[in-house]
Amino acid sequence: MNHLRLLDALIFIIALIIIALSFIAFGELGGRPEVHVRSAGKEWVYDLSVDAFATFEGPVGKTTVQIKDNKVRVVDSDCKNKVCIAAGWVSRPGQWIICLPNDVFVLIEGSSVEEDVDDTSY
Amino acid sequence: MTHRTKMNVEFVALLAAFALFLSTVEYMIPKPIPFMRIGLANLPLIIGLGVLTYREYFLLALLKVIGQGLISGTLFSYIGLFSLGGTLASSTVMLLLFIVFKEKISLLGISIAGATASNVVQIELARLVLFGSAARFIAPPFLIAGLITSILLGLFANRFVTTSTWYKKHKESSL
Repeated sequence: MNHLRLLDALIFIIALIIIALSFIAFGELGGRPEVHVRSAGKEWVYDLSVDAFATFEGPVGKTTVQIKDNKVRVVDSDCKNKVCIAAGWVSRPGQWIICLPNDVFVLIEGSSVEEDVDDTSY
Repeated sequence: MTHRTKMNVEFVALLAAFALFLSTVEYMIPKPIPFMRIGLANLPLIIGLGVLTYREYFLLALLKVIGQGLISGTLFSYIGLFSLGGTLASSTVMLLLFIVFKEKISLLGISIAGATASNVVQIELARLVLFGSAARFIAPPFLIAGLITSILLGLFANRFVTTSTWYKKHKESSL
């Protein structure tokens, strides 16, 4: 009773394994990054790691979204300002592109693969 | 575990009072999450293993939950539910280990197993009731804190049951 036994060590190891598992679960923040596209009241979900090309119908015409090399951009849009095209490529979860005139919203959701500094100060 | 037909109410009450006191001490220590506990109040449950019957043991566990709920004012809240779930899990695990392995395990291993069982159940309850899948954010700090405090409590309990004459007296009279 008073001495430490083999089973104590075993239980200690099991507890460590459970902690390790909790860290693994901690790391999986929603799995792989997904590209969510909201348009005309509907939502489409794409895998960021799978290259794709998709066109969405909006009030002013068509908006074409491209996914390539874990990045996403608006290739072409029938809107006037082309702000969405000017936004270029986005790749990190939380980043988004929106085409307001054509009601197309592109958002990346999921965990960031690599941690980046939010801002840099000099 | 000891076997006796008549319940030793006074001894259960004494250990429950001890748990109540330790809950008060623990309540003073600031914690980031309200149902995160150091587990000081588990000490009577660990020490009680050798001197209580299983009925007395679960009565003590229940009294500990009520005492802790009264002290922290969380008896009728979801925190009370977490406390109940965690304590029932840890006391069941500790009791089973004690009965099954007897001399092959010390109170250190029992303490670690109890704390881990309690924390796993509480995190699971937090996932179901409160945080959803975000509960995994609290899991690592919970489990690590539980491991550290349970090792300290287990070492203390080991030392206590070998050196305390008070404990020895009760163990002899409970046989």
